[in-house]
Amino acid sequence: MTVVIGFEGSANKIGIGIIRDGEVLSNPRRTYITPPGQGFMPSDTARHHRGVILTVLKEALEQAGLKPADIDCVAYTKGPGMGAPLVTVALVARTVAQLWGKPLLGVNHCIGHIEMGRLITQANNPTVLYVSGGNTQVIAYLERRYRIFGETIDIAVGNCLDRFARVIKISNDPSPGYNIEQMAKKGSRYVELPYTVKGMDVSFSGILSFIEEAANKMLSSGQCTAEDLCFSLQETVFAMLVEITERAMAHCGSQEVLIVGGVGCNLRLQEMMGVMCKERGAKLFATDERFCIDNGAMIAQAGWEMFRSGYVTELEDSWITQRYRTDEVEVTWRD
Amino acid sequence: MSMFSPFNTTAMATETNQETGKLEFFLDVPFPSSREATVALRSLSPDREPRRGGISKQLSVSGSTLSVRWSADEARILRVSVNSFLDHLSLVVETMELFGPPVNL
Repeated sequence: MTVVIGFEGSANKIGIGIIRDGEVLSNPRRTYITPPGQGFMPSDTARHHRGVILTVLKEALEQAGLKPADIDCVAYTKGPGMGAPLVTVALVARTVAQLWGKPLLGVNHCIGHIEMGRLITQANNPTVLYVSGGNTQVIAYLERRYRIFGETIDIAVGNCLDRFARVIKISNDPSPGYNIEQMAKKGSRYVELPYTVKGMDVSFSGILSFIEEAANKMLSSGQCTAEDLCFSLQETVFAMLVEITERAMAHCGSQEVLIVGGVGCNLRLQEMMGVMCKERGAKLFATDERFCIDNGAMIAQAGWEMFRSGYVTELEDSWITQRYRTDEVEVTWRD
Repeated sequence: MSMFSPFNTTAMATETNQETGKLEFFLDVPFPSSREATVALRSLSPDREPRRGGISKQLSVSGSTLSVRWSADEARILRVSVNSFLDHLSLVVETMELFGPPVNL
């Protein structure tokens, strides 16, 4: 029996989760939400996390009904992500690991998402679309690495959606992406926006610049509503993601797609991906907002796999890093 | 400068090193035991300064005191680093208060 506690705080969510042999015992989380029109800055985010992290840690233990002695390993996000919040969380993880006399394990955030997706959906060997506010990658497992087949060459799709939300002052509660999704359901007019796929990769900064510049003009001239813009933006960026996912599947001969990351909660994205999968006779896997949005249990799960296959992080090597490629980690726990 | 209960922090004023021309700042933080000072040291030392140039710091433990020595080119850079360190230190101390004392190994 192996029990792992995982600490996550690389963006505006701070979550701590406990997993015992594939069972999620607890997974409390808090989100730092900024006023409409504002994004979250590193030092404010770190301050938010610092204010709640010890409370969330207590909750994680209480809800799991465990004592520190029951924990076998303390996992935390080593990166990638925002520096100041990553440090805040790592400090607590390092401290409790020492106080409790438990081994420490630095986890790659992207791999956390993948391993949680695999656990929850039981997908066998899927092509993974990892889409969030900070990352956009198409990943496939091959010979001990999560290989990046395609990715954004500039900003993440979630970043594009979040920054568009700021332009038209959509609320960030519970998340800008969720509110864009709700508004998009009420949109009916498709406004043509730049579509940028470059081979296996995508680019979102062009569509963002275009819509940032044009949105207020189009809205005030009555050419379209905010709902129409939300609808059009989603249709365009999601179609781009479906295209590069399909391309990767064709390369790998894959019959499974797994969507992970906060943008993966979006039901329209799941629907569009589902259509492509059906056409190819492939299966689509996705998780709900408990697990697609950043959370502690996903770090615990990746930590569980890594710990059982022999990984440990020495304290001197436990520094956080803002850049950490998904393929940097040797995936020793899979064949 | 007294900041955390039950810990008292003693700090020396900033000095200019006559040889190097750099500003230096020393901080000594007493802990209840050498073990706890070492826990703090090992939590606080792994991360690099966000700012690559113009600032460096050294952490060490002597007895039950955590000592930090900064060397910086400018007062502004020194201030940012020290403030950030104090925030981090207070988080580590609070964590130790809530989840300590360290287990016997």
